[in-house]
Amino acid sequence: MILRVLATLLAHYRRHPGQLAMLLLGLWVASALWSSVQAVNATAKDSYARANALFSANLDELSRRDGQPLTREDYLRLRREGFPVSPILEGTLEIDGERLTIVGIEPLTLPSSNTLGASGAALTAFITPPWQTRLAPDTLDLLGLSRQQAPGMTPAVDSAGDRAGDSAEDRAGDSIEDSGQRLPPLALRTDLPPNTLVMDIAAAALLLDRDNTLSQLVTAPGALSTAPEGYRLTRAATLASPEQLTESFHLNLTALALLSLVVGLFIVQAALGLAMEQRLTTLRTLRALGVPAATLVMAILLELLVFGVLGAALGLASGIWLAGQLLPDVATTLSSLYQADVNRSLVLPWHYWVGSLAITFGGLLLAGSGVLWRAARLNVLALGQSQAWRLAYQRQLNRMTLGAAAVAVLALGLVLWLSLLPPGQGVLISFGFVAALLLSSALCLPPLINGVLHLLQRWLRRHPLAHWAVADIQLQLPRLSLAMMALLIALATNLGVSSMVGGFRLTFLDWLDQRLAAPLYVNASPSTLAPMLDWLDARPDVAETLPTARGSVDLLAMDDAQEQGTRKRIALFGITPAPTITDRWPLLDTTEGRPTAWAALSANSVFINEQMAVAQQLVPGDAVTLDTPQGARPFEIAAVYPDYGNPRQQILVPTEVLIQRFGGEVASIGLVVNDRADRQALRQAMTDRFDVSTEAMVDQQEIKRLATQIFERTFTITRALNGLTLGVAALALLATLLAQARERRRQLASLWALGVPRKTLTFLPLFQLGGLALFTGVVAIPLGIAITWTLVAIINVAAFGWRLPLYLFPWDILITLITALGVALAAAALPSIQLWRTSPQAMLNQGAT
Amino acid sequence: MNYFRLSTALVAMACATLIGCQESPSDAAPQGFAGLGENAEEFAQADASTPLSFPRDHGSHPDYRIEWWYLTANLEDDKGEPLGLQWTLFRQALTPPDERPAPSPWAADQVWMAHLGISRGETHVAAERFARSHSEHTNGQAGAEAAPFQAWIDDWLLESPPGANFEDFTLQAYSGEGADRFGYTLTLSAQGPLVWHGENGFNAKTVEGQGSRYYSQPFLSITGRVTLSGETREVSGQGWLDREWSSQLLSQEQTGWDWFSLHLDDGRKLMAYRLRGGGEAGGDYVFAHLISVDGQTQLIGADRVTLTPLETQTVANRDIPTRWSLTLPDAGLQLIVEARHPNRWMPTSVPYWEGDVVVRQAETQENVGVGYLEMTGY
Amino acid sequence: MLVLHQVHKTFSTPQGTLPVLNGINLTLQQGDSLALMGESGSGKSTLLHLAAGLDLPSDGEICIDGHALSSLDEPARARLRRQSLGLVFQQFHLVPSLSVIDNLRLQARLADREDAEWTAHLMARLGLSGREAYYPEQLSGGQQQRLAIGRALAARPRLLLADEPTGNLDEQSADTVLGLLLDLVKETRCALLMVTHSARVAAPLDRLVHLHLGRLEDNAS
Repeated sequence: MILRVLATLLAHYRRHPGQLAMLLLGLWVASALWSSVQAVNATAKDSYARANALFSANLDELSRRDGQPLTREDYLRLRREGFPVSPILEGTLEIDGERLTIVGIEPLTLPSSNTLGASGAALTAFITPPWQTRLAPDTLDLLGLSRQQAPGMTPAVDSAGDRAGDSAEDRAGDSIEDSGQRLPPLALRTDLPPNTLVMDIAAAALLLDRDNTLSQLVTAPGALSTAPEGYRLTRAATLASPEQLTESFHLNLTALALLSLVVGLFIVQAALGLAMEQRLTTLRTLRALGVPAATLVMAILLELLVFGVLGAALGLASGIWLAGQLLPDVATTLSSLYQADVNRSLVLPWHYWVGSLAITFGGLLLAGSGVLWRAARLNVLALGQSQAWRLAYQRQLNRMTLGAAAVAVLALGLVLWLSLLPPGQGVLISFGFVAALLLSSALCLPPLINGVLHLLQRWLRRHPLAHWAVADIQLQLPRLSLAMMALLIALATNLGVSSMVGGFRLTFLDWLDQRLAAPLYVNASPSTLAPMLDWLDARPDVAETLPTARGSVDLLAMDDAQEQGTRKRIALFGITPAPTITDRWPLLDTTEGRPTAWAALSANSVFINEQMAVAQQLVPGDAVTLDTPQGARPFEIAAVYPDYGNPRQQILVPTEVLIQRFGGEVASIGLVVNDRADRQALRQAMTDRFDVSTEAMVDQQEIKRLATQIFERTFTITRALNGLTLGVAALALLATLLAQARERRRQLASLWALGVPRKTLTFLPLFQLGGLALFTGVVAIPLGIAITWTLVAIINVAAFGWRLPLYLFPWDILITLITALGVALAAAALPSIQLWRTSPQAMLNQGAT
Repeated sequence: MNYFRLSTALVAMACATLIGCQESPSDAAPQGFAGLGENAEEFAQADASTPLSFPRDHGSHPDYRIEWWYLTANLEDDKGEPLGLQWTLFRQALTPPDERPAPSPWAADQVWMAHLGISRGETHVAAERFARSHSEHTNGQAGAEAAPFQAWIDDWLLESPPGANFEDFTLQAYSGEGADRFGYTLTLSAQGPLVWHGENGFNAKTVEGQGSRYYSQPFLSITGRVTLSGETREVSGQGWLDREWSSQLLSQEQTGWDWFSLHLDDGRKLMAYRLRGGGEAGGDYVFAHLISVDGQTQLIGADRVTLTPLETQTVANRDIPTRWSLTLPDAGLQLIVEARHPNRWMPTSVPYWEGDVVVRQAETQENVGVGYLEMTGY
Repeated sequence: MLVLHQVHKTFSTPQGTLPVLNGINLTLQQGDSLALMGESGSGKSTLLHLAAGLDLPSDGEICIDGHALSSLDEPARARLRRQSLGLVFQQFHLVPSLSVIDNLRLQARLADREDAEWTAHLMARLGLSGREAYYPEQLSGGQQQRLAIGRALAARPRLLLADEPTGNLDEQSADTVLGLLLDLVKETRCALLMVTHSARVAAPLDRLVHLHLGRLEDNAS
């Protein structure tokens, strides 16, 4: 029987394919956006996990204090001195035009907790010719090989990259020639990171033509208590893993995806509600014919299941496609912002599929719960149904108002909670606050609109057509309110995010201008830069050299400097406090103004970046205890400076102090040249004199261009998702309008019969919906501003460690209103065109009540 | 003595375990043995055709598949507490001589492995090191040179001072950091001659004539310092150094072995082993050499030796025989050999039991010597 | 008041053109009432829609109040409809968003000739006094149709076109509604063209014509 009932129910959609389309559309967009973001997140997580398993994040590292590259001699000497180090050789190769990372390992000495490398009896094969190339199956895609044919193959290498002095640009020109070398036979290992080939160090040295030089010497965490003489030891624990660094970024993505999901479910809810309403007669007839209520509910549940399968299949397929489109930008962002390497092709574990399906079905059930409830409590005789709906809607509005108030109280509570937390914490609470704010505003939107329409009706009593239009839109409100709520949420989020991004762009560009004080910068290895500095100082065309330096230092606990367990490695950055820099270098907070702060910096104080100030809860005037080579020493914090784009904490000291007291090394040289200086000649002289590429000297403009590019990339996916959400909201509105189009046409036909011209009738809905959307847009503005505030003041601080000033852009606000209007008009256009095309007489005749 | 201890396949197994392949210990021995039959003919073969030649044979023999330098010692510290030491350096050829890779940085044809063990009372510590050969490097991460004699891996080094080839030695080996550091610095001095096992130093192991080149220095007198459990103590006592190399391997049926190297109080030394399985008619293969004070060896026929476990104890979830009866009726020896403590498990990449033992007269329970016992395949 | 001259109407269907009206001639004077009868599908409603300017004839001419409909554009026809015509439908076609009183005066307001006194009078005559604030769905079928009649007459049209105004009502309500309709038509002195298939409903009217196979058969005068 249940199948018969189901067939009867489904027959409805044969007559109303539009409703079916709308239902599936809703499910599709909801599921597609959600599953695409989850696919991006799952792929990134997989990449992080595999990268973590590889090394860096969990091994201590040694480097030479003199800045020279590590060699096999270093390795052998350290081993013979009893230090349990293991060599790693890294480089890049081009194969079929694709750049791949080669990691050469020494499996016999690699700390055994590490999962990298060979397995089982294959060790001999791994360490003896012809050796083996271990790679993840997804890396095969880049090589254009299938999993079946790959094992044992020896792909030819285009050219070996990363030879000393080569830069990416140099290689680009001659990369497509066959170097005659081949990779060792391929062997698959699923737990390796993407785009990485792991092989024995002997094979890697031959392929990369490296002789005796090494990339890294690693050792098990904590295996060495102190660094060997002449070497620097970097603890694994002080290197934050990409997973930790990028956590907030992925949380942001998930929040946006959730938003799209909710908006998509609005469509589903609207479609299901409409189909239910139109099938009430059918349902009553079925009940009257003897179908039990339970069977009816089961049949509707079954119907939902059918739609769920269809919608989830559509959603997953297009979600994965969408993720494929978004992934390259996300990967670029993650690598430029966090140096986290993410696979550029999707990797989807089983729980991704289960999760996506569960979300689709869960959402569908949630959206369909109202329908199920109504079917279960169906009144067979339909008594009082038509008279009661106005009252019922009023009650619903009252409930919405109450709900909105309750959620608003919750939002207030969350804000209070946030205000009690130290800055930089409570990302989840912030998202909770934004969600509560959005929900509360969305819930109070319909009562608000209803109230406004009520007033308008009174006011327009003398204008029959306008009066009718307002009364009519009020009549449509029960149907339209969900779509308007979705529109409100999408608009507010859009405004919030675009204001945040816009404000950030302003701040960031301003900051770049201040920070890049020197017109030219030279980047090279510290061993090259040190002699270059003297050479540059001696040149008449160079007016000023501004060397920067890098190093690191252990930060000891503020209260107890002796406590071994609470040390934390912090990056040190050195700048030359010459007027060229100090006049412009941005500072957020000082004790007694800029001049005093700069004077203090030259006299044994330090500056810290905002990220560190937030994470360690430090303000100017506080002191930090640093484990200098001369022993633990306190340093006063003279200022806090903004450091956008840096995921890590940093301490700033003068370059000279960093090199002399903290064993740092020159990182780059800022150059101010004379007005008449020939930059090209200087560049040439530098290239001739030192073994550096022509790209070593970079123009300030070029750096700004790159930084801006990275910045734009960072927000690409945010904007893309936001735009899509707005699109979904427009679809929700369109779907709602289409669903009630027939009935609306009948209404308009009556008016037409009463002597209202057709043209007026065609444009009237545009004004009605435009007005409604505009009102929604106006409500979205304060909401959007609240979201911007939450983003810049709380979420960004927690996610990135920097706080931005709250900027409001009138243009963005105007755009929001225009978008609202545009979305409404776009959605209303199709029904209006239909109206224009249908003969009103036909509409009159259509009307069976 | 330590012929079967950690042969080629076991080194490979060790490396495998190191890299994360999980195989149960009971699987280890048969699988290890399974690989031993392959390619053996491409390596140099051990036979009795030429006598051992010194100092050349103190160094490594890369054309043979497997080789080791194996030291055990029974010592006593300045507080009178007995303790046992083990230090072993293994070499395994990765490829037959003809298939060695062209010399290049990092390209290897040999893998080296070393074990360090110290036992005192219930304490037992062990460490393990691996290294590859460096074809373009004479003084690599690990190796063994004949004259002046040196055998090393990383900073673990057994060497003879110049001119005192294979008579006086120093050994230094430490592992760990800070309070967990353990190891020893020893001075060793030979009090007797080298002992050749078999004709020209060829010790036949099967009826088909397979075997190994095998000689020992069982007459070592030792002094030095041992660091253990955060303290360093002066020690002295006696030691036994084995040298053995071969390319030929064991049968698959052999599941493990029990190996004894004993210093008797009367100055004689006794080496005896039992290979479980692989003997005639599927029985155990038993072998013993009784070494006189002046280094003469007396072969005891398999039917004239009995080796019987008397008591087992649970160590590392295995039943390990810790008390043995060892009888050589022809020599009038009826001995009980007992572990000083059952906790002598070596949790290395291939795990086994190796520890110091006391030797008693079966009848009188009188102490008549000390020694070392190795048991594998349990 | 209403003149139809040689009016033809054909519809195009997938099976070819379908002639519905074949040369209708009809004249209705001020104060006249005419019942148009015929079987289902005879083209009664089509004729009524043409008379209301809701549709245009394929051939022939329709004049209302001296205006030839073919000479008017759509907005002008709409203006004519809201100022001179009243329409009553079988399905009422009330505006659900508006209250009873707002429905009643909707057309009058659209025609910009609302007369409060007349509206109040109509409400009383329709028996809807006290239900001004009700919404259409809260009325019974008879009340809804009375309201529809009131709405059509609120602007004091010169011609009332009614399409089966009692078709959705039971016999008793139908009689009440019909009586009221005729009384009000008399009161406003407007012409009435009523489509019906019921002889009983047609009987009280001045004239009766039959529509058969697209032609009028005049039975009475």
